Amino acid sequence: MNFSNKKSFQKLPTFHFYQISAKIGLFYLIFYGMLAALVAICMWVFLQTLDPRIPKWQEDSSIIGSNPGLGFRPMPKNNEESTLIWLQGTNKINYLNWYDNIMEFLDKYYTPGKIEKGNAYVKTCTYTELPTETEVCEVDVKSWGECSRDQYFNYYRSSPCIFLKLNKIYGWTPDYYDDPNDLPPDMPKQLKEHIGNITRPEERRNIWVSCEGENPADVEYLGKIKFYPSIQGFPGYYFPFRNSEGYLSPLVAVRFLRPVSGIVINIECRAWAKNI
Amino acid sequence: MASLFRKKVERKKSLSRKEISLARLENFRKEVITDTHSVALGELCRRLQTDRETGLTPEQAAEILAKTGPNILTPSTRTPEIIKFIRTLIQGFSLLLWIGALLCFAAVVIRMITTHETDSDNLILGCVLVVVVVLTGCFMYFQEHKSQKIMESFANMVPPKAAVIRNGETMTIMSKDLVIGDLVELKFGDRIPADIRVIHSQGFKVDNSALTGESEPQFRGSECTSDNILETKNFTFFSTNAVEGTARGIVVACGDQTVMGRIAGLTARLQPNKTPIARELEHFMKIISVWACFLGVIFGAAALAMNYSWIEASLFLIGIIVANVPEGVFSQFLYQIHVLCLVGLLATVTVCLSVTAKKMAAKNCLVKNLEAVETLGSTSIICSDKTGTLTQNKMTVCHFWCDNAVIHADSTTNQEEAKNYTENESYNFAEKTSLFFKVAVLGFKILMRCATLCNRAEFIHGEEDKPINLRQVRGDASEEAILKFVELSKIEGSPSKFRHNNPKLLEIPFSSTTKYQISVHALENGRCLVVMKGAPERILARCTKIFINNETQELTDDLRRICDRACTELAEKGERVLGFCDLLLDESYTRNYQFCAEPPNFPRRELRFVGFMSLIDPPRPQVPDAVERCRTAGIRVVMVTGDHPITAKAIARQVGIIQAKESIDAFNINIIETLPAFKDKAIVIHGSTLRDMTNEELDNILYNYKEIVFARTSPTQKLQIVEGCQRLGEIVAVTGDGVNDAPALKRADIGIAMGISGSEVSQQSADMILLDDNFASIITGVEEGRKIFDNLKKSIAYTLASNVPEILPFLAFVLGNIPLPLGVMAILCIDLLTDMLPAISLAYEKAESDIMLRPPRNPKTDNLVTRKLYFLAYGHIGLIEAMCGFFIYFAIMAEHGFMPCQLFGLRQQWDSESVNDLRDYYGQEWSYQNRKELEYTCYTAFMISVVVTQWADLIVCKTRINSIVQQGMGNMILNISLVVETVVACMLSYLPQMNYLKFYPVMFRCWNYA
Repeated sequence: MNFSNKKSFQKLPTFHFYQISAKIGLFYLIFYGMLAALVAICMWVFLQTLDPRIPKWQEDSSIIGSNPGLGFRPMPKNNEESTLIWLQGTNKINYLNWYDNIMEFLDKYYTPGKIEKGNAYVKTCTYTELPTETEVCEVDVKSWGECSRDQYFNYYRSSPCIFLKLNKIYGWTPDYYDDPNDLPPDMPKQLKEHIGNITRPEERRNIWVSCEGENPADVEYLGKIKFYPSIQGFPGYYFPFRNSEGYLSPLVAVRFLRPVSGIVINIECRAWAKNI
Repeated sequence: MASLFRKKVERKKSLSRKEISLARLENFRKEVITDTHSVALGELCRRLQTDRETGLTPEQAAEILAKTGPNILTPSTRTPEIIKFIRTLIQGFSLLLWIGALLCFAAVVIRMITTHETDSDNLILGCVLVVVVVLTGCFMYFQEHKSQKIMESFANMVPPKAAVIRNGETMTIMSKDLVIGDLVELKFGDRIPADIRVIHSQGFKVDNSALTGESEPQFRGSECTSDNILETKNFTFFSTNAVEGTARGIVVACGDQTVMGRIAGLTARLQPNKTPIARELEHFMKIISVWACFLGVIFGAAALAMNYSWIEASLFLIGIIVANVPEGVFSQFLYQIHVLCLVGLLATVTVCLSVTAKKMAAKNCLVKNLEAVETLGSTSIICSDKTGTLTQNKMTVCHFWCDNAVIHADSTTNQEEAKNYTENESYNFAEKTSLFFKVAVLGFKILMRCATLCNRAEFIHGEEDKPINLRQVRGDASEEAILKFVELSKIEGSPSKFRHNNPKLLEIPFSSTTKYQISVHALENGRCLVVMKGAPERILARCTKIFINNETQELTDDLRRICDRACTELAEKGERVLGFCDLLLDESYTRNYQFCAEPPNFPRRELRFVGFMSLIDPPRPQVPDAVERCRTAGIRVVMVTGDHPITAKAIARQVGIIQAKESIDAFNINIIETLPAFKDKAIVIHGSTLRDMTNEELDNILYNYKEIVFARTSPTQKLQIVEGCQRLGEIVAVTGDGVNDAPALKRADIGIAMGISGSEVSQQSADMILLDDNFASIITGVEEGRKIFDNLKKSIAYTLASNVPEILPFLAFVLGNIPLPLGVMAILCIDLLTDMLPAISLAYEKAESDIMLRPPRNPKTDNLVTRKLYFLAYGHIGLIEAMCGFFIYFAIMAEHGFMPCQLFGLRQQWDSESVNDLRDYYGQEWSYQNRKELEYTCYTAFMISVVVTQWADLIVCKTRINSIVQQGMGNMILNISLVVETVVACMLSYLPQMNYLKFYPVMFRCWNYA
């Protein structure tokens, strides 16, 4: 009797198995190669449509909008989620830490040669001498007064400086509050007075900056604040940013003269322009 | 203390109840072996302590009743509904979803505890998962909530009352009070209340068709004719019908012990196999869940190893990681994506199945079990019952022999041709036999006269306008067939009129000893005619003359031999042959002559032979065609019947189940043992052979022979055959109509019952009911089932493809440290909103051209999800989609100043809230909020690109072998789903409530690329 065995029901594809898998491998190699090439070509063509200097979308047509954010230094590093600057004036390791942090950022301000030299010509601008297309304005580190690196930004005296900066947005031109009689009601009194005290109208073409404690208690703990440069703002001649080489965004140093130690103080800084 | 003890005992009992149930099942499987029908009556009475005249005494009966329990069918143990419901809720796949949901909620809770934020993404996802689980759970529960009724339908077959003789008195009792040993009176029209050995009978006939599949009523007498209880003539079975006569018998088995009770028990307790589609889905889910867990664990671990090795891998901390650390969250989401894809699939499967079920219902197939629809498509063997399924379960005249010629009577349901017999001499029926037949018409007329007169059947009044074959007839099945034939041919006008004109003077009814029936009629011309009908050999023996070539001749030995040959020829076709003869009495017998039956006072010898008629239960007209189509579709059709092998074989030949020229008849085991393995031969196997066979031998036969007929099989043997096929890995469909088919129907991968002729039990056990009894509907079902499988495959390919562009962004995010290209909510939207409808719409796709030409799929290798499909979905389409998405992502980023090369490694800064001045390529500085807005834009763009590429994917997946030009875009639901998908995507992107920003060039460019 010769009944076929049950095992013969399942036939295993052993024949040409390696050959087939090699063929499949080759197919995928070519297929993926083509795919990658296609994507690469598309990407390349696409990138050719972009200008290396001028963003395709600017201000309102871009997502970045026309409302620059206000940034500050030093930037706490060990905890990314927090913006708390925890300072011990008597602890050298602690304040050196902050010092290094600021210096990392200010390096290019102190030694402007470090940033790549382009065709732009660095010029000391004033309110009357605005930069031309090919010029960029100098940022004078001396204008920060006591908040200088030589004095460790006063951290060791427990009267720390922080630096405020405005985010660069290509082509953004501020709309200044240059009329002392037309200031927003929620502007701090101190700033209003400050603006009122400036007599030359062209010098009022600034993006003003104000800092104060978030709550009345914070205001009390914070104590007095001093701004450098004393104009208390970003001078208007730095704007607009045109991605010129050598451009440095202006900074405002804020010095908290005598903050009460041992507690957390919430500070709120604002930049003031009609379009912020 | 006592109560404690009792509790323990109860628990023990409930445990063993399961075992009892199992043991019962095994017991039911066994063939009935008993000698109650063969032992001497006196011995039986002694054994049962009963008396053959007076029966049991009431006291005895009460005692036995208390001991054996009532004469009812014990229902199988039931699990409480609530437990069943919970069980469906936590079945394999649902469990996966629960884990997913739990992970989500754990993440939410931990996030809440640690940072007091509400993690809305996880919360929504978790809720969605829970809703899905509960919905599918409910759906599955209602799907499964119906197998309960089998026992009830069996219970309906039990007659409520029975007439017993106790202590010599006849009384009517409830049949559940019947006990073994009771003496029972049976009369026509009764339903048999238990298994009964007949001790007296007067023309007692029972209809066993429900149990054995024999179309004709069977005689029941007191003598034992066979060792096999199903064959013997002195035994009547529980719940069969008595059609004629009266009888008295002793109850030898009650309730579950009866033959029918065993079938009922077997049917109710059999666990049907998992349907192939369920197996496939399980297989797929297994792959997916392993995949999901694997990805989740791997990436979780990788994240741990990469950045968080300082965290010890304690479980609690892992929990925190899952909730707080991006990598943890995303490893979890990798898992969730897969799970979500399953959700879509499940919905698609359900829709596919219900759409098809609806379509089938329109074609008169009622689908009881949704999954059965697909099963039909993968069917590789159909085990078909003969009686009532392949045949009409109605005796019909199919041949007649007169004037030395066999003439085929039209045995289709309508018997259109038969009307042509009416025409007289000029008649042109059967041109083949034309000249000869013109001569033969007279002979035909004489045969018809004989058939009309010697017939006791009558049409029931009031149905004259119905078609003849639908009219009800009072009388024996074969006489009914002859009457209808006569009525159709109308050769002598209406038979009732003809009979009225030629009144019956005397009748000697048919008896099993004489095997003929005689009646004497007064003809219109005043003379008398004796007509006789019966078994052909008896009839021929009484004849000395024959009507042939238009004249009466001497019946010479040569002619006798011709007649004999014709008779055997017809008998070999499985037909039941009846002989007819008549004798015109001489003029001394007049209308007023006192004919007398006992003793007969008229000549009953030297008659004139007029012809044969042969009857068969003809196949349904659509069956041969359907069987042929099964063959082309690679499905074997095996006949499994309780009827006699010769009849079975004849029908098998007629419908095309046997096409081989040679066939082997295996009536006993010795033949089987000496069989060579000829694959091209057909084989007919007798039930008694099957009984002696081992499972292995049966498997070998099933494997080696393509054309198989099983005859004289008992219900358990049918089950055995089905299980044998299943052992070979075949997907078995069983068609049947009788109670004897019920266990096989239940056990089969798909049981198909007949809607009109099927018994209630068979319908309850089946998964599908053919409402019009049309065997051809099965073919439609097969086609639909295959289509479902194809469409499911397409749907899965479609759904899987979008997984790649969902996962790759995460990979790039984790490994390449780029800002996240595709957010979690966007993934949810793709999976549950935009992808769902197109995936479902593929269920409406029409079949491809080769669907009925290829063999049924091999359940072992042709899975729902094969490697090929994975390669196609993941390797080709998915990757293209992902590339497209990434292209859009990088394009948008670049347009906003973040060049592709710059993005790698940017993630830490990008996602840090304290970095408020991230510089881009143009020196612009981005605040956190701006960056996030940009990121969300990318999500949207990525999502839209996925949607757009999914259009193409949908069209790619639409066809498998046909090209899209062949297939066309006729699937309106698919087209609509394309539109809806797009609209949903647009709504998601442009509605102000959505936090995503609009971005018009995205779609345009993606269009070009895709």
